Amino acid sequence: MKRIILLAASLALASTAQAAQKLGEVQAQRSPEQVYAAVCGYCHGRNVGPVIRGRGLPAETVEYMVRHGQNAMPAFRPTEVTPAELKALAAWVQTSTADPKEHGR
Amino acid sequence: MTVNLDRRSLLGAGAASAAAVGLGTAAQAKAVLARGVKKADFAGAVAAMRKVVGDEWVFADPEAVAPWRKSYTPDPYGKHVPVGAVCPETAEQVQAIVKIANQFRQPIWPVSTGKNMGYGQTTTAAPGQMILDLKRMNRIISVDPELCTALLEPGVTYRQLKDYLVENNLPLWIDVPTVGPIASPVGNTLDRGVGYTPYGEHFMVQCGMEVVLADGEILRTGMGSTKNPSAWQAFKWGYGPYLDGLFTQSNFGIVTKMGMWLMPAPPVYKPFVIRHKKMEDVARIVEAMRPLRIANIVPNVVLMMGAAYQLAMFKRRGEVWDGAGPITDEAVAKAAEANNLGMWNTYIALYGTEGMIAESEKIVRAAFAAIDGEVLTQEEVGDNPWFHHHATLMQGGLNLDEIGLARWRGAKEGGGGGGLAWFAPVAPAKGSETKGQVELAKEILGKHGFDYTAAFAIGSRELHHIIALLYDKSDPAEEKRADDCYRELVTGFGERGWASYRTGVHAMDLVAQQFGAVNRAFNAKLKDALDPNHILAPGKSGIL
Repeated sequence: MKRIILLAASLALASTAQAAQKLGEVQAQRSPEQVYAAVCGYCHGRNVGPVIRGRGLPAETVEYMVRHGQNAMPAFRPTEVTPAELKALAAWVQTSTADPKEHGR
Repeated sequence: MTVNLDRRSLLGAGAASAAAVGLGTAAQAKAVLARGVKKADFAGAVAAMRKVVGDEWVFADPEAVAPWRKSYTPDPYGKHVPVGAVCPETAEQVQAIVKIANQFRQPIWPVSTGKNMGYGQTTTAAPGQMILDLKRMNRIISVDPELCTALLEPGVTYRQLKDYLVENNLPLWIDVPTVGPIASPVGNTLDRGVGYTPYGEHFMVQCGMEVVLADGEILRTGMGSTKNPSAWQAFKWGYGPYLDGLFTQSNFGIVTKMGMWLMPAPPVYKPFVIRHKKMEDVARIVEAMRPLRIANIVPNVVLMMGAAYQLAMFKRRGEVWDGAGPITDEAVAKAAEANNLGMWNTYIALYGTEGMIAESEKIVRAAFAAIDGEVLTQEEVGDNPWFHHHATLMQGGLNLDEIGLARWRGAKEGGGGGGLAWFAPVAPAKGSETKGQVELAKEILGKHGFDYTAAFAIGSRELHHIIALLYDKSDPAEEKRADDCYRELVTGFGERGWASYRTGVHAMDLVAQQFGAVNRAFNAKLKDALDPNHILAPGKSGIL
């Protein structure tokens, strides 16, 4: 039974931020929630990196961190998180509220 | 633990602030042009590339190139810094860029998603190259649910592919490396990477490629060049010499499409961990595992994780060791015990029907009971982040837990860490190989002051020793020690015939040396024939 739960849980996780990519088309611009779920949220809030939501981090700082990385954090290039996605993401992180389910280190 | 997010240090210019945020030496180093390339050539190439992909997708000044400079691997002398980046969206644009590269003799270094982590990111083996960043080419061209195949562009991430399968309700699994969400099936396969389901040997389940050659021609391998390429993703070999291997770990062409096989989701999936308490137990584990893998009773790529490697994922070094020198086995054992880990934690999974799994489980339990292994299921382990991590991987699930490794060392208030270089020598899957390898690794790591944080993996008949060299990249002296240590690992193991299956740009030439002069000369002849101007990724796998 646990196995089924595990499978179901992983499916649910994967579907939290659907990008709705169609065959033969490049990925469309993603919302901040989608970028956070597909990239940032695997470390931030999951015991790998520090929590970044709900801290009022300045958008300018978020943009710099994403493009340059810091220590264990990789840099993310404009090809990975587009300039438009990053602008929206940074503003979203700045005004985000904390998620009590997230844990940072 | 909080990370320093002080804006002044982040946004302030200059080397001092770059060091303060742990970008490492290379992020501050001045990029130099490739040998024989003049400033006017570089400027000409950049201008011509802008016409192909648009101004906004060519990057040539140091600040704009910054995202391509960041890397976990050591570069104490700043030798691996790219001079620019060009980001095409189509194979036709790649063809045009290759022609420009030839015209101006400007070398280009292709990356798919550039997230090979401890094997490298988007820095280059030889200096003066522009990154050919293929991430924008991220089309899922086709998925065939009957044949269980996919055809992808290099910029597709595992996450994109998984999202597509889930959204379209296709009962197919992917097989991911440890950093799946942001890595690429094409890039990982071309580096001959591995994952942990029964489809874990990625190049084995690759089928068909489209390649832009250095002369701008497009080659399709296997059945892809026939009048009706409907079997392109069904039959690997085509006719005549098998070509696909030439485009893995090489610089003979730019792969712009790749076919791969996907595993049908099994009706039941059951993960296990087998715990052993002593360092020396790894020899017995390998002996017990080999026949199970060869007979495919254990069908997935098996990881035997050392406790120190496991601890380094989720703990900071200061939490478990404050002594001088490398962490001792005794300290590792104490922390392992406290965290519900063995000294070796072997992760396997069974796939199929309840009946099939029950039969295989009996055989596995008997094999490990005979060598004092504690075989545990999910229910028996309970809430354990390490089991959760591996149970996720063995069903092709996505996580980035291993990025935590880069915070093991030097992670203090305000930063530190950020250094990770995987050293991965290969041996036959025999227990007798493990003792010498563990001793030699500890000796060399210890000499340079680093911890033995390692795992073994069995694909089929071979044993990979995966040693994570973890260091503080924000400390230039430590970065240099890490570089020295890695080179000594390559040569020290190489003398015993244990050569790496894969490495980062910092050691490609040195690893190539371990495979001998005839091998190198053969690759050099191929390179001269296929890329006479040497514009594709010079230095990749030691091939100039």
